[in-house]
Amino acid sequence: MLELAAHILDITENSIRAGAKLIKIKIDENKEKDILCIEIKDNGTGMTKEEIKKAIDPFYTTKKVRRVGLGLPLLANAAKRADGNLILKSARGKGTKITATFQLSHLDRQPMGNITTTLLVLIAGNSDIDFIYKHRHNDRQFVFDTRQIRKKIDDLPINHPEILRYIRNSIDQGLQKIATQA
Amino acid sequence: MDIAAIVKQLNLETRSAKDRLKNMVTGGYTGDLLSDVMANSKAGDIWITRQIHQNIVAVATLKEHAGIILVNSCEPASDTLDRANQENVPIMVSKLSAFELTGKIYSMLAEKK
Repeated sequence: MLELAAHILDITENSIRAGAKLIKIKIDENKEKDILCIEIKDNGTGMTKEEIKKAIDPFYTTKKVRRVGLGLPLLANAAKRADGNLILKSARGKGTKITATFQLSHLDRQPMGNITTTLLVLIAGNSDIDFIYKHRHNDRQFVFDTRQIRKKIDDLPINHPEILRYIRNSIDQGLQKIATQA
Repeated sequence: MDIAAIVKQLNLETRSAKDRLKNMVTGGYTGDLLSDVMANSKAGDIWITRQIHQNIVAVATLKEHAGIILVNSCEPASDTLDRANQENVPIMVSKLSAFELTGKIYSMLAEKK
């Protein structure tokens, strides 16, 4: 994975597989602290201590038994390479929270990639799940919430082409307003 | 040996700074980890990589590489191309994998010596 957006897609797909109905994706670009933080939090089934071990160890077990792919070890590696780390918090019945931190200016920090397309893929393919996306860039913040979109569109499905076009525009514009740089 | 010779022999497609193919290639470096390339590549190297974002142009400029070749038919991002044209860094695209391309260019360089 060459871009952080690909990691976000992969980790969020874990959340979806874990039966999450609400997934919060939070990005914080802080130039002053020189930190880029990505947090993905879901209300899925969560993991036992044993499952957490399996999730972060790439060699723990074979693919058949593995409920999550290589996404977490790869993200952990990407974070470490950029002088950061990955924290996984999860409990059965309580959901999972993954926080990946990077040194924002580190040469080996992967570029963000296309967030808008990533979110659209997630929303279009999982119309029964709600997503909240919060992106902070220094003192500016953009928030996108599919629950708010649902309120506006009544009975129309959220993955209707017209609605998806509207969502694409609002995310693009929102990200432009806060002038994301990562 | 200049870049033009490599472009011709290995059927590379040039994507930026087409007027800089006379840059002399004195060595090469293959890698995707930018900090490693910063630390270990040399001026005059042809850099072989899978990375496509604009940071590659920054690294190639700082290290005074002869040029960059992207492997596996990977295309540079559009802002990468803009930067490369501004900074006069030739970027080429090869159908080969990094392994094959590196081997071929290594042989070409070895023959010239």
